[in-house]
Amino acid sequence: MEVGYQFEPLNKKEITHTQLVRYAGASGDFNQIHTVVPFAVEAGLGGVIAHGMLIMGFVSQAIGHWFHIDNLAKFSVRFKAMTKPGERISVVGRIVEETEERWICEAKALNEEGEVKVSAAFEVKK
Amino acid sequence: MKFRCFVSLDNRIGHMKFSKSRGVNSLGTDLKEKIGMEFDEYTFKVEAGKIKEFALAIGDLKEEYLKGEKVPPTFPTVIDFWGEGISTSVLLGLNMKKVLHGGMEYEYIGKMNPGDEMTVTGIVEDVYTKAAMNFVIIKKEYINQHGETVLISRSTTIERH
Repeated sequence: MEVGYQFEPLNKKEITHTQLVRYAGASGDFNQIHTVVPFAVEAGLGGVIAHGMLIMGFVSQAIGHWFHIDNLAKFSVRFKAMTKPGERISVVGRIVEETEERWICEAKALNEEGEVKVSAAFEVKK
Repeated sequence: MKFRCFVSLDNRIGHMKFSKSRGVNSLGTDLKEKIGMEFDEYTFKVEAGKIKEFALAIGDLKEEYLKGEKVPPTFPTVIDFWGEGISTSVLLGLNMKKVLHGGMEYEYIGKMNPGDEMTVTGIVEDVYTKAAMNFVIIKKEYINQHGETVLISRSTTIERH
C-alpha cells in the first residue's frame, strides 16, 4: 500500500424500508423520520430517510474489508445528503497520506448517480 | 404526542430548565445556554447478541461480528440509544421533525470488547447557528469497567429552523 492507493469499492444492496426498521431496532434510534412514512412526509422529507449512522456503518464495513478493524484509530463522517429506500450505495476510498505510525485515508458513500451521501476521514495504525 | 414532553424530562438532566412555550426562532438563543450541559451517565453491557443484530442490520456479515467476538466501529451508537433510553435530541428539546444528523467522529483510544460494561458521560461541547440551522456538538466518553476511557465521540446534530 502507498499514498494514492485506491481500495476496492464496496457495493451494497438496495436499501429497503425493512432494513431501516431493522436498523432502528438494532441501534435503538426510533426517530420516526426513518420508519414512519406519514411522519417523514409531514416533516417535509417526502418519505422516510435512512439513518445517517447506517450509511456510516456501510463505510465501516468497507474499512473492515480494507484493513484489520482493530487498527482503526479514528473515524469521522459528515452526512452530506439524505438517503432513501430504493437507493444503492457504494463505498469508495483511498489513502491520502501516511505518517510513521498511521495511514490517513478518506472514503465516500455514493449512490448510483454519484451523489455523495457521506464523506469520511479515517486513520489506521500501521 | 409530538415530543412536547421535554419539560417532564427536567429531572433527567438536573440543572437544565426548558421553557414551556418556545418559538422555533428563539431556539438558537436557548440552545446557546446549553453549552456545558452534562447528560446523566448511563451504562450498557456490550452483548454478543446485540452485536450480531446490529451487524445484520447493516448487512456487515464479518464473522467476528456475527459471533460477537469483535465490536463494530459504529456500535457505540447502540450504546447511546439503548443505554440512554432516550435520544439526546429529545433531551435537548429539539424539534424532532427538524433534526438531522450532521456528522459523527470516533476516536478509538483503547479497545472495546464484547462483554464490557461501558459507562458513558456526555456534555454539550458547542452550539452555533449557521445558514438558518442550529448545530449542537455533543462529546461523549466511553469508559469500561476498569475505568479506562476507550473511546471519545463527537456528534453533530443539526436542527433546521
